[in-house]
Amino acid sequence: MGIFDKLFSGKPKEMELGAPVAGEAVPIQEVKDPTFGDEILGKGMAIKPTGNQIVAPCDATVDLMFETGHAVSLKGDNGAEILIHVGLETVSLGGKHFKTIAKTGDHVTKGQLLIEFDREAIAAEGLDTITPMVICNTPDYHAVTAYTGKTVAPGDTVLGLVK
Amino acid sequence: MKEIKYIITDPLGIHARPAGMLVKEAGKCLCNVTLSVGGPAVDAKRIMGVMKLAAKQGMEITMTFDGPDEETAAANLEAFLKANL
Repeated sequence: MGIFDKLFSGKPKEMELGAPVAGEAVPIQEVKDPTFGDEILGKGMAIKPTGNQIVAPCDATVDLMFETGHAVSLKGDNGAEILIHVGLETVSLGGKHFKTIAKTGDHVTKGQLLIEFDREAIAAEGLDTITPMVICNTPDYHAVTAYTGKTVAPGDTVLGLVK
Repeated sequence: MKEIKYIITDPLGIHARPAGMLVKEAGKCLCNVTLSVGGPAVDAKRIMGVMKLAAKQGMEITMTFDGPDEETAAANLEAFLKANL
């Protein structure tokens, strides 16, 4: 695209990311872990899940499926570097209550199943199941907007990225 | 260029939180900072690369520092590793 197209194309298009799990969409600041709440990994949002399946928020390549299944990082076809972390301190479960469906290197489409998890069992272990989704390459974007304060189904828009 | 080596003692290895903290610490350096665990080195200022190393307890990590503040950067990161990993 030439410089004139950039100057005159008007408002830049927002790239949308869908909810990775059903639940209540909340601001990232509600996550009681400074790694996420203080946006150390990047800007994003979180979901208090009511579902047990993590799905792809957009068409993407699985950059890293953690072998413990408690987190997955994705490189979106749109360029976004996305980390979805299922629950807090869940790395300590060592894979218990998680089942990985997608593998590192897989190309997935929006809505495709990545991870299954037993939300009730994780909560019964005394762990918070809040699931942050953050954009690790936040500095590459002009704006990262969270659409929260609502109940979401998987795929409903929860983040908007503007270059 | 400065280089430091460190063997991870944290039983959980470099998972999301320590990776984030390490990237934040590396981000304070003016010099280029890389991290490797025997394989190819990644940019220690980029979270996805650092997590992808999936460094575990007992593995030796190597960090390199190249630039104007490499001496202080290496000392800071070495202290960070000892305190957190």
